Amino acid sequence: MNINTTQQQLEKINEEYHYFNKLCNVQTKKTGKLKDYVISVKDALCVKDVETKGGSAILEGYKPLFNATVIEKLLAEGATIIGKTSQDAFGFGTFSTNVGNNMQIPLNPFDKNHSTGGSSGGAAGFTQLAKKKGIKHIALGESTGGSIAAPASFCGVYGLTPTYSLVSRYGLLDYANSLDKIGPIAASVKELAMCLSIIAGHDEKDATSSKTSIPDYEKGLSKPIKGMKIAVIKECFGKGIDPAIKQNILETIETLKKQGATIEEISLPTTTEYALEAYYILAMCEASTNLAKYCGIRYGRHEKLEGNFNQYFSKVRSHGFNKEEKRRILLGTFARMSGYRDAYYIKAAKVRTLIIQEYKKAFEKYDILISPTMPMVAPTFDEIKRLTPLQHYMVDLMTVGPSLAGLPHISCPTGFKDNMPIGTMFIADHFQEEKLLQIASSIEELNHG
Amino acid sequence: MVNGKFNSDVVIGLEIHFQPNLKSKLFCSCATKAETKKNENSKDEPNTRTCVICLGMPGSKPMLNKKALDYGLKLGLALNCSIALELIFSRKSYFYPDLAKNYQISQFELPLGKNGEIVLSSGKKIGIERIHLEEDPASLVHPNTIHDSAYTLIDYNRSGICLIELVTKPEMRSPEEAREFLKKLRTILQYLEIFDEQTGVIKADANISIKESGYVRSEVKNITGFKEIERALLYEVERQKQAMQNNEKLVMDTRGWNALTGKTTRLRTKETEADYGYIIDPDLVPIDITQEMIEKTKRGLPELPDEKIKRFITKHKLSPIDAQVLAMERVLAELFEKVAEEIDPILAAQWLRHELVKVANYHKLALDQLRIEELEIVELLSMVEKKEISDRTAQQILSLLTEKGFSPRQYVKEHKLTIVSDTKELEELCKKAIAESQPAIDDYKAGKEIALNNVVGKVMKYTKGTADAAKVKDMLKKMLR
Ligand SMILES: [Zn+2]
Repeated sequence: MNINTTQQQLEKINEEYHYFNKLCNVQTKKTGKLKDYVISVKDALCVKDVETKGGSAILEGYKPLFNATVIEKLLAEGATIIGKTSQDAFGFGTFSTNVGNNMQIPLNPFDKNHSTGGSSGGAAGFTQLAKKKGIKHIALGESTGGSIAAPASFCGVYGLTPTYSLVSRYGLLDYANSLDKIGPIAASVKELAMCLSIIAGHDEKDATSSKTSIPDYEKGLSKPIKGMKIAVIKECFGKGIDPAIKQNILETIETLKKQGATIEEISLPTTTEYALEAYYILAMCEASTNLAKYCGIRYGRHEKLEGNFNQYFSKVRSHGFNKEEKRRILLGTFARMSGYRDAYYIKAAKVRTLIIQEYKKAFEKYDILISPTMPMVAPTFDEIKRLTPLQHYMVDLMTVGPSLAGLPHISCPTGFKDNMPIGTMFIADHFQEEKLLQIASSIEELNHG
Repeated sequence: MVNGKFNSDVVIGLEIHFQPNLKSKLFCSCATKAETKKNENSKDEPNTRTCVICLGMPGSKPMLNKKALDYGLKLGLALNCSIALELIFSRKSYFYPDLAKNYQISQFELPLGKNGEIVLSSGKKIGIERIHLEEDPASLVHPNTIHDSAYTLIDYNRSGICLIELVTKPEMRSPEEAREFLKKLRTILQYLEIFDEQTGVIKADANISIKESGYVRSEVKNITGFKEIERALLYEVERQKQAMQNNEKLVMDTRGWNALTGKTTRLRTKETEADYGYIIDPDLVPIDITQEMIEKTKRGLPELPDEKIKRFITKHKLSPIDAQVLAMERVLAELFEKVAEEIDPILAAQWLRHELVKVANYHKLALDQLRIEELEIVELLSMVEKKEISDRTAQQILSLLTEKGFSPRQYVKEHKLTIVSDTKELEELCKKAIAESQPAIDDYKAGKEIALNNVVGKVMKYTKGTADAAKVKDMLKKMLR
């Protein structure tokens, strides 16, 4: 791949689809597993000297002094970093329509009237388009409550959200630290596996990063899934799901059966009932503490110094934060204030424990859980406008459960409805990424092979 | 708290912060002190000891300085606290320009230690509610005064430095008790070697109320240094009593301490408690504090002042007061133990607690700043013990010894300072003195007893102070009879 052609190509693609907040060309060595690859990076990840703003106007002009650990690891394998992909500001959204003030919304590669999904919308959208144009590319996404799976599903690519703590978060702009996970989005399962092998592993700069040993994820891909015990999450097929998606998942299940997997049904009542609320409370509480430092003193956006400091900060924040950022800061602050703290923050943390227990119990019996990734295919921007904030949040129903429990999950393209892709999601127990890749690989063969 | 629950008229509770003598900050490896090169004054240029972590740069993550936990554990165990099973940090959110992340990483739900105590000499226990670790914010710098500066600068060198916070129960009933409490705390910190008194900062917020007002509390903020805390307490108690005598009504307020004027002044009347919206810091995983760690730290603790006092009394037969005075200064206590192996402990105790302290005061130095070699002290005191030199000679040598090293015995020999105990020699010297002091002798004979001191002085001069003055006086009286 000629980098110069790519640069021109990228600019052209970006004019049309808005996948990048910033283009760049960073390569430190020309050897390694990724020497032929271009890598796009969600804007929430720090790339040294390249404007990094997490999709938010509050960080306009901010150039990190250091690379995120994952960036270091990719560069060490010869990767070329080509840019920062667009996203919902700080990851706050499901459709990449909550982009920062003065930023552009990424458009679906299948139909520009549709959303890419979010919050890693630019990452997934560009992955699909790069595949169509024959560019060897892998995207680094980030997920807090489903931000890798959702856009992967809407854009028809593979998105892997690893176990919380498997990949270092050092250099990731924080949304909700106890939920944030960095993961790859790619056009093939093999590329996901390759990328995960590179970025996973303990990092002494991140206290939460796991010391578990890292298997060779690529090696396990060809293992047959015969004998794998799979359970379908019953509640994910209730009201609100698009019948075409339900049909598609049922077909996927049939193909898995044919390959020798056993399929049963499972009920996760606690998760279905409470995960969404617990997720949003915890995520917003953490987010509100993370965003408080963006006030125009230290990083990113500055304004003319006028008035006393409260007036100055208010001005910077009112210009820099979009509506959704403000909403989450306010709700998160409210939920952790004394008087409400026990009813919201503390209770949500307790619910989270119950949900983890519910999943753990399921994994005593099953290797994999299945659900649709999203209850719908990528909606049009008009349809999104008609959703209330609550309906917005409801879309994440399938993905917040595993996110809250820190479980690895993968979204695989399994079909289409009216030309828009459908995704099926597989969830595994902590650190069982190999199983996810194995099952994704067996589906991939059927779809393409 | 009203209605006679307290049987004394003053109630004091303290919240104490001190900076332990760690080399690096609490969550990054930045230095806590400016590096000083040889022949260079310690210059601390603003914002030079910072990194992406202590500046809260987006994407950076805190990493715990494990030594801070060791220090916290040591103090917790020394104060008989019950130790938490996990070390958990929380985010304490508040807005202030000196706070890099706009939250401070502190401890909230589960302090490292709680329910400890310090026992005063009366046997009264002052409860320690909690001790915990937290990070310090940066400092604000104003080109002029805070009121007439056009702008404020921020120096992040302090940002992220470890502080240990200790909160007492409101159980001190007088500024004197508070002083003793602080003295004891200071001694414990000395023994644990976790605080550097020369460079470390200790600050306190004090809650003070008196019975006459129905225990309406004032909180005095930001008092720096052990001595200032005591001064502020004394002032504040007096202020409250005065106010009641003048029939003023006291209201809950927050006050500042001005060390220059020696007064507290109202900053604000008490509003509602600040709401910090604490959450567990999700960047720092809870660290298990195992029984093993606790046992290991316990085994590593030095003998603490209370145990030392007991041992000095039983083993060395010191009086309780001598034992206490010695044990309350780590330098003295350690020196005493070494010296007492060679010298009569009671003699050693007297010399160390009185004479050595006097020398330190004279030089205006803290005891641990004095130059002290135990072998030299032993050599000196063994001459005192055997009455080879006079107390005065020994005092003079002690003073010299704390400045430079030498052998006291050699010194005594070279300067012929051995006590003149030879009676014949003394008689000769007395005769000489009498011959040279005719006017004084006349006065004495005329009944002026005091005139004889002049003659004694002369003899002492001839002997360079080595003679026994009382003996000389007796001798002179006999000769003049
Ligand atoms: Zn630092």
